[in-house]
Amino acid sequence: MLERIALHQTRLRTPGLGLEAKGVALGAKGLVLLPSIDRLVALLAVYTREHSLEDLMPSLSISLVRSKLGTREITFEFAAESSDRMDRMSETARLVGGFTFTGTSRHFVQYRDAGAPFGYDATQLLATEATLALYHDKFTQTYDVDKQLALEALLLRLMPSVDPRTNDEAGVRYLVAEQGLGPALIHYFVRSRVDGEVCVGEWPPASSFDDAPVRRYVMRIPDLPKRMRPLMMKTPGITGFLPAGPGVAVEIGYRHPVALRACPVFDPNGLVLLRGRGDEPWSLQRLPQMGDLRAFARVELRAADVPLQSTARATTSPDAVRVPLRVMASSAAWKNVTATWIAPGEIALLRRLAYALPHQTIAATRIAITPRGAYLRSPAGIEAIPLGTFFVEVHAGLYVPAGHEVTPAVAPEVLYRALGATASQVIFIGTDARAISIDESAFVPLETALLEAAPWEPIVADAIEAALDEKPIDLKLTEPLGLLPLSAAEPPPATSGVTNAPQLGK
Amino acid sequence: MAAPDFAKIADRVFREFMAPLVLGGAMVPGKPIGARVALEIGEQRVAGDPDLASHLTLARVRVARKLVPIDRVEPASREEWALACALHDIVQATNPGFDGVFRRRSAALLLDLVDATLERTAPVADLRDALSRHTWLSRMFEIRRTDTLVSWWVGSTRFLGTDAPARLTAWPELRRVSVEHTPRALIELPANGGSVDLPRLGASLARLLARTPITDLATCTRATPPFAWTADTLAFVAAPRGRTIAVRALSRERAASVDAALGRATRALFARKSWRAVGVALELLAERTLGAALTATAAGKASSSNSDASFARAAGALVAREQIARGRVVLADDDRRRLLATLAPITSSALAREIDAALAGSIAAATSPQP
Repeated sequence: MLERIALHQTRLRTPGLGLEAKGVALGAKGLVLLPSIDRLVALLAVYTREHSLEDLMPSLSISLVRSKLGTREITFEFAAESSDRMDRMSETARLVGGFTFTGTSRHFVQYRDAGAPFGYDATQLLATEATLALYHDKFTQTYDVDKQLALEALLLRLMPSVDPRTNDEAGVRYLVAEQGLGPALIHYFVRSRVDGEVCVGEWPPASSFDDAPVRRYVMRIPDLPKRMRPLMMKTPGITGFLPAGPGVAVEIGYRHPVALRACPVFDPNGLVLLRGRGDEPWSLQRLPQMGDLRAFARVELRAADVPLQSTARATTSPDAVRVPLRVMASSAAWKNVTATWIAPGEIALLRRLAYALPHQTIAATRIAITPRGAYLRSPAGIEAIPLGTFFVEVHAGLYVPAGHEVTPAVAPEVLYRALGATASQVIFIGTDARAISIDESAFVPLETALLEAAPWEPIVADAIEAALDEKPIDLKLTEPLGLLPLSAAEPPPATSGVTNAPQLGK
Repeated sequence: MAAPDFAKIADRVFREFMAPLVLGGAMVPGKPIGARVALEIGEQRVAGDPDLASHLTLARVRVARKLVPIDRVEPASREEWALACALHDIVQATNPGFDGVFRRRSAALLLDLVDATLERTAPVADLRDALSRHTWLSRMFEIRRTDTLVSWWVGSTRFLGTDAPARLTAWPELRRVSVEHTPRALIELPANGGSVDLPRLGASLARLLARTPITDLATCTRATPPFAWTADTLAFVAAPRGRTIAVRALSRERAASVDAALGRATRALFARKSWRAVGVALELLAERTLGAALTATAAGKASSSNSDASFARAAGALVAREQIARGRVVLADDDRRRLLATLAPITSSALAREIDAALAGSIAAATSPQP
């Protein structure tokens, strides 16, 4: 009863069947015929694994149909829209053992497959009053709708399967605590600095013997610490849920067969909690207002005899806040290490090291010898002299030990001002926070300070040696004094004054 | 009176007196120069003999390098000319030619002119000036006059600073001629033909030495004039670098004699209670003691037969110990312990305790750093 639609065929016999732009025969609706409910679940599970049902939901209709022979099957109807959507659904249906049809109202023909790329057309239509007439290359059958199936009800009836992998899934969790456990759990969370929100849900009594609704605390915990997860799972009266989509959550340790996130059938303003073990879901039509957990923490009031408040009678200006300077170890990188302090005990090492220092280092270094030891400075860096305690120049004329920083962490300018040093002084702050000031003029080039200026005499050539040989001074009085020996010896001129003796210390 | 010919006098003084004073050889002083010429002769004076000046410069550098590693010295300054002329006249004051009728007072008059010259000569301005003066006068106490006594079978005669004529030494065996040469130092000349007494000569020499402190310190072991701390010398050693040069100059003399001279001079300061001067002198003694202790050459020499030398060592050790205790001497821990152990016998001696008691609280003020 079916024939393949040929290329460029324009005329079709099936009512409501047309050709889309690609030339594929397509009706207004698509229909998947499934032999049983488990195949429907399989279809939903496979389809929602990759695609969302959101586009299908407005036109989706699931019906239990009955053939003339009395067999019951499932039809899954939806708006065809395009051959792409139909292709996706057709592939999924083929996987789960279903048949895909397309049509508009009553007559549905087999959707295209590998044997008929442009689809099929019915050569002869059945004259029937049945709700559906399905034309397949293997069969032609009419069906009447027995009843409509609601997707939401179907999803709620499906039992989640055990899946321990969800135990350690991160993210938001819902915890439902029985009424007696709620306050203690809230206090536990507040004490443990766990953020979250809480509300109280009411469910009808479990039996007619109960006269009051069942109240449970519903908590939304954005990030439950890992250490608490086993406790939440194993404590009777506390049930944990992982959100599975807008308005729906599945108990931790279980997984729903259908990807609920792809099934927008639940009210986002409400909350459906799907439980395992075959227990009925807990549903809240509208999620009550949730409050911060801390607002529900246990409160304690001061004793009544304690005054409510202590009011100051007068105010005064605060005392000056002065704290002693401290030098603390720092992990910051060393920068601008331009000075070192060599203790008196290490001066001998410096003397030995002097023989190994390159000229450039010696020329660039200045040294000040003090009773506390030697201070060496080199603007190009002092690392070439690996001795003593290195200092970092944090400000012009202000040094702190390398690898240390001063606390309070004030700016170097402020510290320099606080020390009250003048521009001609160089200040070294030791690790014990004691500042030592050295006059700038005390620093002399290492070049001149290094060499011991021992007296020495040059070795000269023999000829000069002979000429310079210190002959004895032989006084000869061969020059006669003359008749008037002092005739040429005159007193000093009156204009030349007496020279005073120098002052001590000049 | 005709104006003196400065160039001629300077040339003669340079060749016959200043050059031998440095190089050695025959020194032939001329007619006394006097204060006026001495003070003015050095104005922009340039030596006339370049070869001699070159030799002199080399010799002077050699003298300077015994103390300080320098490569050149300046030509004689105005003050150095004046000092040379003063020494010239001091030497001439010992000339036996003044020992005659109407002349005996001339030598003293000449020394008066020398004193006037020295009074008008500026003290040393800096270390280089002091060193330059020392290079001229370092050998002033090496001036020797050779007196010759010629005796023959019927008589004898003395020749003071002159050679005996050949006729007197002819036929020595036949006439049984005996020639005896006796070199005499400058301070011995007054007693050997001079008409000036030794104290008067020593006073002028002391004034001259005051104008050249390095020479004064370097010759402190002399007998006449005895070394005494003067304002010029104290001012020189008060400066750290001057003190270093002084220590080097003193180290060339025998340590015991130096200690005796310095101890005697410092004792005189103690007696005058010139505490500031005492402080400067003690700094020098302490530096000498520390140097000796470091080289361990003077370890354990707590006492000496010469009380002045003992005084110098004890006082120097006391101040050195104080400096070490106050941390004014940068030393390694081992060196510090070794030094204190070396100084301990000296500082614990009876003399040291006496000095310590005498100084009492003044030692801190005496050893405080000079500005």
